[in-house]
Amino acid sequence: MMRGIFAIVVLDLKRFWLDRARLVTGLVQPLLYLFVLGAGIGASSRMGGGDYRRFIYPGTMGLSLLFSATFAAITIVFDRQIGFFKAVLVAPVPRPAIAFGKILAGALQSLAQGVVLLPFAPLAGASLDFTQTVEMLGAMVLASLTFSSIGVAFACRFNSTTVFPIVSNAVLLPMFFLSGGLYPLRFAPAWMQMAAHFDPVAYAVDLMRGSVMGTFFFPVPLSLGALALTIVLLTWAAVRVFNRGEDDSSLGATRFNFRR
Amino acid sequence: MGNKAFDKRHIAKALSVLFTSRMPPTPAPQAESGPAVDVEVLVKHYGKVEALRGVSLTVGRGEMFALLGPNGAGKTTLFSILATLRAPTSGSARVLGRDVVADRDAIRREMGIVFQEPAIEQRLSGTDNLMLMGLLYGLPLGLARKRATEILAQLGLGEAAGRMARTLSGGQRRKLELARALVTDPRILFLDEATLGLDVDARRTFWGQVRGLAQAGRTVFFTTHYMEEAEVADRIALIDSGRIVALGTPRELKARVGGGIVSMKTEDDARARAWLGEKGLVPEPGGASIVLVHADPAAILPEILRNLPVRVDRVEVHAPSLEDVFLKLTGRGLEGGNRS
Repeated sequence: MMRGIFAIVVLDLKRFWLDRARLVTGLVQPLLYLFVLGAGIGASSRMGGGDYRRFIYPGTMGLSLLFSATFAAITIVFDRQIGFFKAVLVAPVPRPAIAFGKILAGALQSLAQGVVLLPFAPLAGASLDFTQTVEMLGAMVLASLTFSSIGVAFACRFNSTTVFPIVSNAVLLPMFFLSGGLYPLRFAPAWMQMAAHFDPVAYAVDLMRGSVMGTFFFPVPLSLGALALTIVLLTWAAVRVFNRGEDDSSLGATRFNFRR
Repeated sequence: MGNKAFDKRHIAKALSVLFTSRMPPTPAPQAESGPAVDVEVLVKHYGKVEALRGVSLTVGRGEMFALLGPNGAGKTTLFSILATLRAPTSGSARVLGRDVVADRDAIRREMGIVFQEPAIEQRLSGTDNLMLMGLLYGLPLGLARKRATEILAQLGLGEAAGRMARTLSGGQRRKLELARALVTDPRILFLDEATLGLDVDARRTFWGQVRGLAQAGRTVFFTTHYMEEAEVADRIALIDSGRIVALGTPRELKARVGGGIVSMKTEDDARARAWLGEKGLVPEPGGASIVLVHADPAAILPEILRNLPVRVDRVEVHAPSLEDVFLKLTGRGLEGGNRS
């Protein structure tokens, strides 16, 4: 089991290393939010430009982690198309190990993306001392695991790389917009505050924001509990898909959850 | 109702025994009790399509066994069931004495498999691919790396060790697939159309290496639709429309056709066939040319050529090939071109 997880993680990280240029291109989106959107909206907000940038920095961190974790999960869909996964699936690895490995590998990749974004914090007016950095990193680890389990739970149900981005946009963007990443949830309409309670991204962003600003919207134990629950539930959901009988030879089924 | 089904099974089994060669399987070098593969009245349906209609066969340990048939004959289905990729609808299949459904994981630990399509990560090096496979099979990291290096050297793939798989030639990539299947030192090797798309030279070296593996005591079970590939096997099963139509050594199978084969092309094949029929020389049905199987072609040919009422464009006499065996047994060629 442990070796199986290790093998999946090593495989994904080796491939990620070949694509390390992605770390740089992955910076573009959060920096746009931070310095273009942030400057524009901040100038016209009550907070003022500098404070607003500092306020949305954890939000853009959440955005960056969310998209890189989900993108990492797409490899599941690719693998199935090129047949490599078949060799993995006939290896005597317990199915849960594949799900765990994928989630762990995705979390590590998204964490790497987050660490690349971390040095931009002072530029955004969010200088972090040592304790704050440790808190931030802890929140990032939890957020990465959550987002990676979201990505894997989705990706293992799809067999087409063209459908996956559409679905992920339909799910990821609303989750990000509801999270309070770009505005204070405190002033949001009641229905949005309600909805945010069901959005794992909101808890992740709130934890990260708390480590930067010192104030939280949700009670910290609630955030920790909600994220832990999300990780457990979605990992379980992914394991279930991987576990469903597999009938995956070259003849037909491209999904590995074809019933026996 | 239940009884009826029971009877049917027995009849099917009895029939399949009739069609199965009685020759005892070749003794395995490292004999352990029981055959490597034991299949009884195996049936597989895909919805209404019957892909396998009661297949029975056994493969001895250390044997090199070929499954030969046209596309859509049920080769890949039978292969997939044995390689634990699909579950049978009914019947039983045992590999290395274990049930393919109940003991799937135990079989997987002891088998290696090469798929039709590539199953190596093209952007990783040969060593990385093999090492990761070893890890997936539960080898410790150090041992996995050591095995990877050894297998690559053994198959003459030393230069693939550090290179990205996609920069290798087609033949080398297929060898790398074989190496991937071997990295866990399997006792049985499954190869599904493993040389598809390779040129003749690359195919020859590939099969030379597989032959060596079989001689070292591994059981090899492979599917192919190239006849010359099937000939490297100890025994061959011809499969058509979900049934085994013949099973035996290449020589046995060819002996079934007997004597020699005359194939000819005339300006009016229909008339020539009719004339031959009148003379009591019934050509095989179908085919693009007239195929005549006879115990002694040299004796009848001069007579035919002298008296045939239509002009003969081309005539050949040759020893029977597996293609002829297949044609005789099914009335169609192996390439499946004239399947309806």
